Order: sequence, then structure tokens, then C-alpha cells
Amino acid sequence: MTDSPAPAGRAAASPDDMFVETVAALVAAHPAVARLDGGRFGDVATYLPGRRRLVGVRVGEPGEPVEIAVVVLGDRPIPQAVAEIRSAVAALRPGPVDVTVSDIAVGPLGDGP
Amino acid sequence: MTEATPPTTTTSTTATTRGTAPATAGSPARVAEDTSQGRTTIAASVVQKIAGIAAREISGVYAMGGGVSRAFGAIRERIPGGGTGAANIAGVQVEVGEKQAAIDLDIVVEYGASIRELARAVRRNVITAVETMTGLEVIEVNIAVNDIHLPELDDPEDLPAPVVSRVE
Repeated sequence: MTDSPAPAGRAAASPDDMFVETVAALVAAHPAVARLDGGRFGDVATYLPGRRRLVGVRVGEPGEPVEIAVVVLGDRPIPQAVAEIRSAVAALRPGPVDVTVSDIAVGPLGDGP
Repeated sequence: MTEATPPTTTTSTTATTRGTAPATAGSPARVAEDTSQGRTTIAASVVQKIAGIAAREISGVYAMGGGVSRAFGAIRERIPGGGTGAANIAGVQVEVGEKQAAIDLDIVVEYGASIRELARAVRRNVITAVETMTGLEVIEVNIAVNDIHLPELDDPEDLPAPVVSRVE
């Protein structure tokens, strides 16, 4: 960690950080995903160099599950969307992928009486 | 004695049904698959919103929520950021486990609806929606009809005037 060959003048972009961003982009691009979310306690997040905090993806040590938390769109069944997200992420890094569906984004249907 | 054949047939049919029943309830397999590939957690608010929307889809449901929650809902709608999302879940309480969900609904029905039929339709629609959308098994939907809405009372002109004047 101390001898990481960081390019001068830029925050070090380690392979892990790049992987997290790739996963985040992949998950956010899924048609059923409204946005990434921090999970129930806002703890599903990764601290990145450059004082950034990427919400919605946490990649643990090797062997630990990748954690994803999303707000889904309410236009399709959740299990199928979760399975697609899980297999897409597992294709990048084999192993368990924990998916949390924090909320569902629905239209303004609640304006009722 | 000679009628021994039909019972045998029945028994075998029952046996077949029993044999298939555990296979049909094959959710443990899915869960086992889930645990090896990672857990799926569905938040209670997801189930709440789906159930609330499914209940409102049934015509004859005038509003959701008890008197107090509806009063708070009316206030909440005037607060920025407290609006439509909260209105979806008024009158819906859920308990969500890993595989199952239990749902309690408070509804206000329209006058003229058969409450029995309405409750049945609401229950059916909520179960279908939640099970399809979340993959959770809905073990129960308890429906409390809190109030009945009389449509003609919305119009102030229709209110009988003597009610006010009588107590003068």
C-alpha cells in the first residue's frame, strides 16, 4: 500500500477502485435500475480517492460478497432484475453478490383522494 | 369388497399429489441457489408501495389508511419532500422476511361496493402483485375497512341544510 506506484499529480486509481466504478456503471445501466442506493443504513458504499464516495457498491476483500444496493423501477418483476444484475456482476468477479432492493420508484400514483 | 378398486385409485392419486406437492413448493431450492450466489434483500418499503398501489387499483377502494394516518397524510402532502412517496404507503403495514411477507391494509371503501367482494379482490390483487414483483410468498393479507365514503357528501349543495339550522 505504501509502495503503490501512483502516477504523480493524480489520485491513485487502483484496479480495485476501477473495478468498483465498472460495477457501479454496469448496475446503473441496467434498465430496471432507477439509481444506486446506500442500502438500509447507507453503508453500501465505497470510499474512493479524491474524496469521493461511491454509493451503492461495496466490494469487500476477496472471498467477501460484492454488495449492491439499488432502487428499482416498478415496471418489472424484481427477482428477474436482481438475477440479471447478479449474473452481470458475477461475470466480472466470480463469487456471491448480495443485492439489496432499497426502494421502488413508482410514478405519482399516490396523488389519490 | 368389490368396490375396493376406487379407493386404491384415490389413494394412488393422493400419493401422486403428495409427491408433487413438495416439488411445487420448490422455493427452498431457489433460496439455496440464492445463498451460494449471494443474498437478495428486499426492503419493506418496496413491499409497502407495491401493496398500496395494488390495493388502490381496485375500484371501490376510496382511500387508504386510518383516520389518523389520513390526517397526517393530508399534512404531509403540504410539506416539501414528504409528498407522493408517503401517500403510496399510507394504510399499509408490512412484515418482510427473507422468503415471506405479511401485509396489513387499512382501507376506506366507496359506498355501494360489496365490502366482502371488494376485500377479496383487494387481497387477490395485492397477493398477485407482491408475489410477482418481489418473489416473496405472501402468507397473509389482513384488511381492515375503517370507513365508508359517501360520494354525495362531497358536494356541499347536497348536504341537507336543516341539519345546521336545527340547533340554533
